[in-house]
Amino acid sequence: MTNSTTAPQKKIHVIQGEHYISGEDEVMLSTVLGSCVAACLHDPKAKVGGMNHFLLAESDNHADADAVRYGAYAMEVLINGLLKKGADRKRLQAKVFGGARMFDGLSDVGGGNARFIRKFLADEGIPLLSESLGGTAARRVEFWPSSGRARLRFTGGSDVEERRAPPRPVKPADDGNVELF
Amino acid sequence: MPAASTISVLVVDDQLTMRSLIRNGLQQLGFTDIREASDGEEALRVLVQRPVRLVLSDYNMPKLDGLNLLRAIRSHPPTKGLAFIMLTGRADSELVQRAAQYGVNNYLVKPFTVAILRQKIEQVFGALT
Repeated sequence: MTNSTTAPQKKIHVIQGEHYISGEDEVMLSTVLGSCVAACLHDPKAKVGGMNHFLLAESDNHADADAVRYGAYAMEVLINGLLKKGADRKRLQAKVFGGARMFDGLSDVGGGNARFIRKFLADEGIPLLSESLGGTAARRVEFWPSSGRARLRFTGGSDVEERRAPPRPVKPADDGNVELF
Repeated sequence: MPAASTISVLVVDDQLTMRSLIRNGLQQLGFTDIREASDGEEALRVLVQRPVRLVLSDYNMPKLDGLNLLRAIRSHPPTKGLAFIMLTGRADSELVQRAAQYGVNNYLVKPFTVAILRQKIEQVFGALT
């Protein structure tokens, strides 16, 4: 499989609690998600984008308020960083990933994260171009911030697990990669 | 000891989610007269119509940011004396210093709990009843 970009690639791993913003063509952001959620935001005109990676609290009623508070903060930091790099809030588009239910029997932290990010984007009027949320498999996400292109691969382990949690919005390619344009 | 219900508040933040969170927190503390604005310009329009006793404002906002909103409020006689609490991110210590020069009453680092919100307001108004 050939890489579609000709420039030398600068790969940056975004770990939990962090975010990264860039407008450079050669930058590719990657992360691995279980229950966590990563939001990839992109301004197609300014050609700048960014990814965060956050985990919110468990989703009983009391903790939901905490979850929203920390999630809103994580999103605000990413959005403000994009605005500083020349993005316009009205042009921002989102692709979101993660929120898997990783352990049976424990509360569905991933589900709470997924509900949060969908509601946040709807409330803030940021269009959600594509999503892959929920399921039981871990995900590896790659995001090119200048173009807004994203690629998803399920890394949850066995083929059985992958079949149990297929990506919902698009069909997987033969090699397990999914292009999210 | 002021009753929270006697203190009118204007919440200024460009994120609806953040405004809702702050409104919910204020309501838990007994505040009832709560208005909202999504940026500094809108905040000034609201304040010209009817000043409030407390402004809780984000810093990073389009059009008019929190610092310039604070400057405008302090230079306008009808709003000059109202309390102003700035909401900041973790890495904004320089901003806190600049806001202090312009007469900010207190600041609140995001993300914060309702207990911290109460503490910051009480540091300005005294214990709330």
